[in-house]
Amino acid sequence: MATRTFFKSRRAGPEGEYGIDRKKDLGFYIYSRILIILTLIVILVPVLYIFSLSLRSKETVYQDFLFLIPKQVTFQNYIDAFEYAKTRLDVSFLQMFRNSIIATFSSIIIAMAIAALASFSFSNYRFKGKEFTFTAIIASFVIPAQVLLIPLFFILRQAGLINTYLAVIIPYVGFLIPIATLILRSFFEQIPKEIKESAKIDGASDIRMFFQIVMPLSKPAIASCIILLFLETWNEFIFALVFLQNPKFQTIPVAIAKIAGGKYIVPIGTYGAAIMITIIPVLIIFIIFQRWFIAGMTMGALKG
Amino acid sequence: MEKQYSIRPYQRFWNTTGQPYTFLLPALIVFVFVVLSPVIMSLILSFYKFTGFDANIFKEFTGFDNFRILFKDRYFWISFKNTFYFVAASITVQIALSLILAITIFFGRFKNSVLIRTVIFFPAVLAPVSISLAWRRILEQDGLLNQILRIDFSWLASPALAIWVVIFVSIWQWTGYNLVIFYAGLQTVDRTILEAADVDGASWWGKITKIVIPTLTPTIILNIILNLIGSFRVFDIVYVLTRGGPVHQSEVFTTIMYYYSFSANGPNKMGVGSSIAFIMFAIMIVFGFIRIRLMRRGEI
Repeated sequence: MATRTFFKSRRAGPEGEYGIDRKKDLGFYIYSRILIILTLIVILVPVLYIFSLSLRSKETVYQDFLFLIPKQVTFQNYIDAFEYAKTRLDVSFLQMFRNSIIATFSSIIIAMAIAALASFSFSNYRFKGKEFTFTAIIASFVIPAQVLLIPLFFILRQAGLINTYLAVIIPYVGFLIPIATLILRSFFEQIPKEIKESAKIDGASDIRMFFQIVMPLSKPAIASCIILLFLETWNEFIFALVFLQNPKFQTIPVAIAKIAGGKYIVPIGTYGAAIMITIIPVLIIFIIFQRWFIAGMTMGALKG
Repeated sequence: MEKQYSIRPYQRFWNTTGQPYTFLLPALIVFVFVVLSPVIMSLILSFYKFTGFDANIFKEFTGFDNFRILFKDRYFWISFKNTFYFVAASITVQIALSLILAITIFFGRFKNSVLIRTVIFFPAVLAPVSISLAWRRILEQDGLLNQILRIDFSWLASPALAIWVVIFVSIWQWTGYNLVIFYAGLQTVDRTILEAADVDGASWWGKITKIVIPTLTPTIILNIILNLIGSFRVFDIVYVLTRGGPVHQSEVFTTIMYYYSFSANGPNKMGVGSSIAFIMFAIMIVFGFIRIRLMRRGEI
């Protein structure tokens, strides 16, 4: 739904858009331009400023502040940031990325598999307790994750899992399943019954129908869903902070948070570069998969 | 013949009730062990006294002591107040801002409408930690903001302002998210009615208040619920920007819970931490009931 409504405006093009007439409503026209330009400045300047800091040399870091373009461009800060992470944060950027990738992708794969099966069950059958279990799973949406922090800490410590990837993968899977189930169920329900029934007449078992009809037809929903789950886990902070105290296992947010208020003073340029190293990969992925990001994030919301 | 019959009941079970439950089983197992049991355990633990080093945490039952400690703690009430500010700002200021922006972009006939929306949206995909680190630098005494304003003020060290600065950064990050949802909602506004209003010579203000806002009511409620849930559990931004400081003045529920339970310079009273979790859980349940009541009345 969200996917469709979001792209409709794009396909329709300017002539399909309803809007004000520039000549008739000059006041609104001027107001709208000023508001949007101001908003874009407020959104973009902070990020551009940090980017600009990361490119400045030590001598010019306090100069040309309003002109976001630095006088002297240097990549030394990025080299310094890599060195700083290795020596002061006890975990190199490569290791951080590795940890984040392992934690994120394992959680997504496990959660998607489990949620897809559950959604198929919810959308394809009638059974006792269906509405109740669905409501229970969806209700865990509302529970602040932090409520689980202390008990899970002791459970995972008892199991000897603190400071392993599983320490975060297990809770992440727990949070991701409700989100994914919510999205996938409503998408699976939109698949026309006729397609399923004709497959049944041809003698396909339900399991085969799931793999050969439902899953392939749901590719767009699955893609948007994966992106939503990716953001939830990639950016997750508090569980990783508490359960991954060994720097060698820390994900990007936890490791990078230590540059603020840490024991060592970080040069401004290095600080900016460290932030940019965490932002740039997400930014590149965002630019490539823009449509899916917005569809995925609004989809999760609109289904609720 | 006998053999065929013996296999049938099983097959019937598999086809009618067995399959749905089998497919559901993995999700239920995860739900019970990762969500449900910890929630129950958390509620029980708020009546026990224990630290992070204890092996047996269900040793010392203390009744309502944890809650008593909490209610006597001045900083808990500050966290209560700040969480309230956070939620209130995100469901009023942030909603208003994103709604105004969405309507402005929708009516404004912007050539680069998609690009504009994408740019305003993009902070929502970045890690709150990265964003907070960036804003920390900007709000530093020698940071960009003071350079522009030509003043020398430590924004994050101000006891009165710190929480509002944090709230501002949160609004900066999430307004685009609400905006995109509003924009999706705007696609459902009936254009023929708008065009009819044009024929009648309606002003843009009239069109917005009489046609657009009523159509958007469900989307507004949806956004309010999303912001309420999200801002109630905020942690990353506060933790990175202020650590709840200066002197606990910008503490919210989650950060004071972290302080009591896990912080290296905190009191390591996990029972008290659990009782904060209990209170958060209870408040969310109340919100949930209100939401269900509203749904019954057909407002969503």
